[in-house]
Amino acid sequence: MPDSEPPPAAPAVELRDIRHGFEGVQALRGVSFEVNAGEVVGLIGENGAGKSTLVKILTGVLQPDEGTILLEGEQVRFANPRAARGAGIAAMYQEPLIFPDLSLAENIFVGRQPARSAFVDWGEMRDQARALLKRLGIELDPGTPARDLSVAERQLVEIAKALSLGARIVILDEPTAVLSTREVDRLLEIVRRLREQGITLIYITHRLDEVMQVTDRVVVLRDGEKVADVRTAETSIRELVRVMVGQELAALEQRRREAKPSDDIVLDVRGLTRYGYYEGVSFQVHRGEILGVFGLVGAGRTEVAQSLFGIDPIDAGEIRLDGRPFVPRSPRQAMKHGIAYLPENRLLNGLVAPLSIRLNMTMTIWQLLAVLGIVRERPIDRAVDELANRVRLQRGSRRRPASTLSGGNQQKVVLSKWLATHPKVLILDEPTHGIDVGAKADVLRIVLDHANAGVGVVVISSELEEIQDLSDRILVMRTGSVSGEFVTPVEKDDVLHAAYGLQRRAVEAAG
Amino acid sequence: MSALRQRIDSVLASFARAPELGLVSILVVLSIYAAVALPAFRTTSNADQILSNSTIIAILALAETLVLLTRQIDLSVGATLGLCAYIVGSALGHVGGDPPLAILMALGLGGVLGLGNALLVDLVRMPAIIATLATLSIYGGLQVVVTNGSQLYAYQLPHWLTTLYATNWGPLPAFACVALVLVVILTVCVQMLRWGRDLYAMGSNPEAAAVTGLPVRRRTYEAFIACGALSGFAGLLYAAQYGNVDATAGNGIELTAIAAAVIGGVSLFGGSGTPAGAALGALLLIEIENILAIEKISIFAQQLLQGLAIVASVAVYALVRRYAQRLGARRRRLQGAGPLPTATIEPAEAHP
Amino acid sequence: MRHLWRQALRWEAGLTVLGLILLAYMSLASSDFFTSFTLQSLALNSTVIGFLALGVAPVIISGDIDISIAAMLGLCTIVLGEVWQAGVNIWLAALASVALGCVLGLLNGIFVVLLDLPSLAITLGSMGAYTGIAFLILGGSAITGFPNSLVTLASGLAGNAVPWSTLILLAVAAVLAFVLHRTTVGRVVFAIGSNKQASRFSGLAVVRTKLLVFVISGLMSGIAAIFYAGYFNTAQGGLGAEDLLPAITVVILGGVSAYGGTGTLPGVVLALFVLGVLQTGLGVLGFSGQEQTIAVGLTLILALAVSAGSRVLRARFTAAAARSPA
Repeated sequence: MPDSEPPPAAPAVELRDIRHGFEGVQALRGVSFEVNAGEVVGLIGENGAGKSTLVKILTGVLQPDEGTILLEGEQVRFANPRAARGAGIAAMYQEPLIFPDLSLAENIFVGRQPARSAFVDWGEMRDQARALLKRLGIELDPGTPARDLSVAERQLVEIAKALSLGARIVILDEPTAVLSTREVDRLLEIVRRLREQGITLIYITHRLDEVMQVTDRVVVLRDGEKVADVRTAETSIRELVRVMVGQELAALEQRRREAKPSDDIVLDVRGLTRYGYYEGVSFQVHRGEILGVFGLVGAGRTEVAQSLFGIDPIDAGEIRLDGRPFVPRSPRQAMKHGIAYLPENRLLNGLVAPLSIRLNMTMTIWQLLAVLGIVRERPIDRAVDELANRVRLQRGSRRRPASTLSGGNQQKVVLSKWLATHPKVLILDEPTHGIDVGAKADVLRIVLDHANAGVGVVVISSELEEIQDLSDRILVMRTGSVSGEFVTPVEKDDVLHAAYGLQRRAVEAAG
Repeated sequence: MSALRQRIDSVLASFARAPELGLVSILVVLSIYAAVALPAFRTTSNADQILSNSTIIAILALAETLVLLTRQIDLSVGATLGLCAYIVGSALGHVGGDPPLAILMALGLGGVLGLGNALLVDLVRMPAIIATLATLSIYGGLQVVVTNGSQLYAYQLPHWLTTLYATNWGPLPAFACVALVLVVILTVCVQMLRWGRDLYAMGSNPEAAAVTGLPVRRRTYEAFIACGALSGFAGLLYAAQYGNVDATAGNGIELTAIAAAVIGGVSLFGGSGTPAGAALGALLLIEIENILAIEKISIFAQQLLQGLAIVASVAVYALVRRYAQRLGARRRRLQGAGPLPTATIEPAEAHP
Repeated sequence: MRHLWRQALRWEAGLTVLGLILLAYMSLASSDFFTSFTLQSLALNSTVIGFLALGVAPVIISGDIDISIAAMLGLCTIVLGEVWQAGVNIWLAALASVALGCVLGLLNGIFVVLLDLPSLAITLGSMGAYTGIAFLILGGSAITGFPNSLVTLASGLAGNAVPWSTLILLAVAAVLAFVLHRTTVGRVVFAIGSNKQASRFSGLAVVRTKLLVFVISGLMSGIAAIFYAGYFNTAQGGLGAEDLLPAITVVILGGVSAYGGTGTLPGVVLALFVLGVLQTGLGVLGFSGQEQTIAVGLTLILALAVSAGSRVLRARFTAAAARSPA
């Protein structure tokens, strides 16, 4: 019988045996896989597995030491990012770079504004911008100054820009970490739309549930090698984790608590309000308790935490620490009262990157370790050794700048800085965000240890599984208010409903 | 929020977006007040004087704007003005020349001096503030060396130049017309040409500009060269206005120029402001100077005023912008949108 | 602190070599150079700039800039003169100058730190404002004829060898260096210069420390004013403006990064010496004041060029050998 099927088209992107290393470390050891046109492929792996290196190679920032890249069957070599862009590859990162003073439309067309004989055609630019946004199914005013756009909106601008450049292959690098759940849904919807339009997508994320939702295939990297390449329909989250980490994730039930939380309330918050950010927030934290705070990113959790820590002002409400009224005025003052806050953005707010590891770790107690303000090195070294042990910081000179550490170790440095203050209340904002599974385990263990020792711990997290297993109680926030409070174990659905604010049950109950 | 509050908020928001509006209103209000209160102000010749006197500052402010837009600064515009005034003036005195030649010389020499700044910023990677501090002193020093104790006299200059200041072209003084033409040209350049839009992008987010592939290096050179060229041109007008040019010509005028631009809404952070605004800022400063002179207030108050004007403008613009942003944030939060961008968009200092 | 010195040594070593080369060259080029008279003049002429540099260095290390230092110097000198002319004891007048310096610095600090406004813009404005006030006070006239006691302090020699002003300058530099490099406050300054936000989030006293550096800047200008009045025996509007460039040059030449976070005070003192040798040497060789200024400008450019170049080299060889305290 004559074969009436046409020969399969060459894959949109194919990587063959890519190898790349720097300074003696092999980041990629012969990675090969292909992505077909109109496919969404998820690329997952722990930190350090080689994902970002791969992205850099695909976008022309790096050239592989060995191996070839083929686009639709033709071998290509990207000497620089421009070449990659020219070939139709575009990448979008978590916090897209935009020009805040320029309009949305101009952000899309920066450097190549539509022009009529050398003069910029503003009207045309606006129309084209509108059309692009329409393709994504969005309606935004193209004249909006970019500084007024939210992160999610900025990402959309970035995607629109990629489309306008004729991108056929779009790489999304951890796009959802900073989005609210509604915005995540919108983004995933856009991914599906793009796929329908024949765009090929590579979706990089730590959020395995998203991978399961939107991808056709999943490629797993570990230690610079491809260890799995499966159809999404044929795998599961548990399976992916196993492949990623190389072992079963330790049964989280093992983390049952040794000590029960006491009845003493260490932090009592009543009616906390900051207009435009959160309103009427009330909750209590007991000694030795772990209070998980769940919610869509943007529910106001970080804002509440930052207000408690004296970073942002409070418009109304009362706070009591150990029964005594407390008005946070500055981080310094909050610290003195026994509150510690591990910020969400590690590099920006957590570390002073050029400063050495040891100085970063002891920053909160410099004054204490000094004599009459004069620096003494030995007490610092002693404190550093003790803290490093506690957090299981990787070995190596502590005098190197903190920027030389990996994400997980950096987080440990920031954490140890706060542990050094022996806080009464420890607030952690997305403590396991963007760090590898090993460090994650260490951090969670430290949290548990401290709770067991009587510290009131507040963990803000967007990962429901993690929060469920870790917390004694869960507080849920939604658009600035507390929408639910649960004692674990709790039904996942209950928590999600509180976070979404779905009125379904109420409607059903009303008949 | 009450209706009045909302009204005020929207006014502030639009002020933050287009400060030129606020500037024009201040100018109008001031002019009306002065016209009513001071008879000496009401004359045509006084108005002409204000317009003519503000020209040089306006041109320097225009020059400065090009550089400020890219989040740089140029402290050497005054020295460039002085050096070009002397050299071009002397050249004209020795070999004679008609306007096109003079303009070419001024632009050329100024451009070369501006190129010096660009080289320091680009090749030596100096922060613009320090680089132009250095060139300010070097060019100023050269000015002293070149004048060698003497000065340029009006009689040495061609006739068409020395009579320019007093001439009127149509209803407006010649100087004002020149300034107006330059404002129009520059406005077209920065609003309608990709070249100008690149400058805004560079100042708005230098990192993104580089990553996006904008010709950042080339624009930096072009901005500084254009700034120098315009400053040189202003030097030519300086010779026209004052006739005499000595070793100290142009000293300190950079502060006035920057003050004018800043008052005009050009942000020291880069990325916003317009040439029209800068020129209006110059006009406002000179009008205030004029009023002070009429009221016989010490001319030494000028510098204090300019200094205060810079501080006040920076404070007002920054605080208004912050307030407007907080409002916008509030509005969005209540609509249930996602988080505000965390950071890194807030511009770093104009200095490094 | 051993580590700090080891790393700083590279820049300071280069600077010392440069200084010695210049010294040797100048001495050979002119027999008038290596005389006690010339060297004393060198020291005396460096005093005012030295104080200004000491004052602005911590500001730059903390990540800001203060270009109003020369204007503060001018205003303080004039106020010193005015107060003295009003009949007040010269030393009290000197005290007034120092106090005013602190106030002016504090004003800068209030706008920059409390209102969170960019230091370049604010000090650009305050530079104009302070100069303007100085002019308003004196108009075009000048004050001269300061008492002998002041002149001796500023121009006299201890033991007929080393100028008093140099000794005082070095003493102040030593104190400031100690504070910057061996106290917690100093470390906070470096931390702020490296990452202000993270420093604040870590509970460091950012506001207080930043205000402090601006006050120090003003304080040093106030002290410099005393020596200016005594040495030049004159106070008039616009004085000191020409000292802004050399002061900044000394700081940058001394290894302080223009972007903040790194630098050493001993480096600044060393740079002061080097620049002094350069300027005085040029003067002895017959170059005019303006030509010397051009030389200073070129030195600034050179210092930054080398700093930028070495940063590139360093980045290529190691992973960030930061010159901040370790």
